[in-house]
Amino acid sequence: MSRVARPRTTSHRTRRVLGAAVAVALLASGCGLSGSSDAEDSPNDPIVIGMSLPLSGPAADRAKPGMEGYQYWADEVNANGGLLGRTVELKVLDDGFDQQTAISDYNRLISQDKVDLLLGTFSSDLNLAVAPVAERHKYLYIQPSGGADEIFARDFNYLFFAQPATTQRLPNQFVKVIEEMPSASRPKTVALVQQDDPNTTQAAEIFADRLGALGVTTVYDQTYAPDTSNFDTIANAIKQADPDVVISGAVTGDGVSLVRSLQKVGFSPEMFYQENAPTSPTYAQAIGEANTEGIFTPLAYSTETDFAGNKDFVAGYAKKYGGPPDEDAANSYTAGQVLAAAVEAVGKLDQAAMAAWLHENTVATIVGPLSWDAAGRPQGELLLAQYQSGTLKVVAPETGANADILHPKPNWQ
Amino acid sequence: MTLLLQTLILGLLAGGVYALMSSGFTLVFGVMKVINLAHGAMIVVAAFLTWWLWDRTGIDPLLIGVCLSPVMAGIGWLLYKTVIARVQRVDWELTLVASFGVAVAAGGVMALIWGAEGHAATPSYVTASFELGSLVVPEAQLYACVGAVVLLAALYALLRGTFLGRAIRASSANRDSAALVGITVERTMAAMFAIGAATTGFAGAALSVLYQFVPDSHYVWIGRILCVVILGGLGSFLGAGLGAGILGVSEALTSSYVDARWATAVPYVLIIVILLVRPQGLLGGRVRADGVAA
Repeated sequence: MSRVARPRTTSHRTRRVLGAAVAVALLASGCGLSGSSDAEDSPNDPIVIGMSLPLSGPAADRAKPGMEGYQYWADEVNANGGLLGRTVELKVLDDGFDQQTAISDYNRLISQDKVDLLLGTFSSDLNLAVAPVAERHKYLYIQPSGGADEIFARDFNYLFFAQPATTQRLPNQFVKVIEEMPSASRPKTVALVQQDDPNTTQAAEIFADRLGALGVTTVYDQTYAPDTSNFDTIANAIKQADPDVVISGAVTGDGVSLVRSLQKVGFSPEMFYQENAPTSPTYAQAIGEANTEGIFTPLAYSTETDFAGNKDFVAGYAKKYGGPPDEDAANSYTAGQVLAAAVEAVGKLDQAAMAAWLHENTVATIVGPLSWDAAGRPQGELLLAQYQSGTLKVVAPETGANADILHPKPNWQ
Repeated sequence: MTLLLQTLILGLLAGGVYALMSSGFTLVFGVMKVINLAHGAMIVVAAFLTWWLWDRTGIDPLLIGVCLSPVMAGIGWLLYKTVIARVQRVDWELTLVASFGVAVAAGGVMALIWGAEGHAATPSYVTASFELGSLVVPEAQLYACVGAVVLLAALYALLRGTFLGRAIRASSANRDSAALVGITVERTMAAMFAIGAATTGFAGAALSVLYQFVPDSHYVWIGRILCVVILGGLGSFLGAGLGAGILGVSEALTSSYVDARWATAVPYVLIIVILLVRPQGLLGGRVRADGVAA
């Protein structure tokens, strides 16, 4: 009898455990895991600047250089005597690229840790959730990344974006390139494929509208979930739609996966434009260096511009971290520059006064002079770059361009 | 029509990769009743090792994967001896928590060693495809599928045709009786766990070639693996193959014909449906005791 009873119990327990396993897997896939740095909280001196970054999870590859940019800025400030004569200390939490964790992290930094200042996190997705927290507590919030207009449409007073432009202006240069092509060689069809992110989906809508106005028909438009890993079927559907232009609203590694799948199904469009992913240091190796040729990407920053402090930043960063800064590192550094300018100008840590000062003034940064509208939208233009012979060359606007456009894109190698 | 056929081919090939990833898990679960949530992390460890060795030596990543099998077996054996076996003695359900803890820790350690950037091994055939008229069959995927079939067949043969296999099944059915007839249960279980871990060598190599991966990729993979195993039937190799095929094709069809946004929800929807409709899985046999009771 007992021989019958025992396996039966096991079978029931097996199912129970299985249920728990499923629950754990669902939880694990849905949320990241947070941890904290060993930064000490001290209310008086030094000035503690709090932030929560997606150091783990799917956007970790963007957050690492972002974190380095912040650290480089803090070290530089301290080497030059600090802010208001006090040293600067960063308190960094990890939100695992999870909105809820990011919200609770910033709440904790403000209410529990009582940090003196805040700096922003990465991606539109996280900033969309975090900006209201800072606004509610009346903390100045300068975000290095995340240009979706949804974030700024709420007319926050304490929010500022540390790039030259938001997503609203992101398509400008590429659309202009197509507009200026002779009508005979101008592309007729476009495929839009983007990650489900406020920034990329907004850009896709603008692209569809503005290219549509130029007579370029959208033949494929799909948004995919952030944890998509298999792009073969998406690439296949794009191939069947056979567009002249592919516009890929990638956020991070998804950009590489899409390119590799396009190579697998043997589809190479005449023009290929991709957001974010091409500036990752591992991009060229992951898709094959020869395959980068002709790929367009918007840039918020270039190491080659002559804006004040840029050359020193590039050289110093390369010395410290062994390679040139990427866009994320530069954007963090810029956010730091904006914060420092406001603190020094106001002369005390008065959040409302600093926000008011930023609304009224222009700050010289490594991405150029930045000024903002009442909702924190910067008033500049992004650059359009294209991979040529293994490096990103700025091809538009004409004032900043250092190369001619390569057209059409060569086939995958 | 081309879209449909191509979608089915790509779905089935993705299914082959899922079967490969799931083979070791279904073995350990089916025989030992241990839900090893660190299985996905071990695949990612093997993927990192493959990428790292490929990057330095240029040796074919899939070949590296084969050579990594004994290394992963060693890691598996160590994991069993240091964590799983000890926890199992207290309460075997705790292995779930313990292995999840190992997975989380492994993710952190990988990020420390290799960084959080995405990596991928890119040998020449990674983006090559065989062409059948207007249809394409990606080469790397095909190799991974062949690997999955060989691996599943080898595991089946091992379990059914060797003394070790019989010892494993005996130990799993009744530890005390197995010990009475001279089987060293502890050693047999450790061997079983190591064999399950060995499969992550080739699975990890396939991952490094087929997809870009980061240390946290294991969360996505363990979700899919659980889906494949639950769908196909616990411990059934044929079921794992079938479950993997269904998952791959369902994801592909969803992505092509419904909405790409829903493709990543497919595994979880399938898990919920199968647990409600047929909890033992498509090919999972009911436990003999269930039959007696019924």
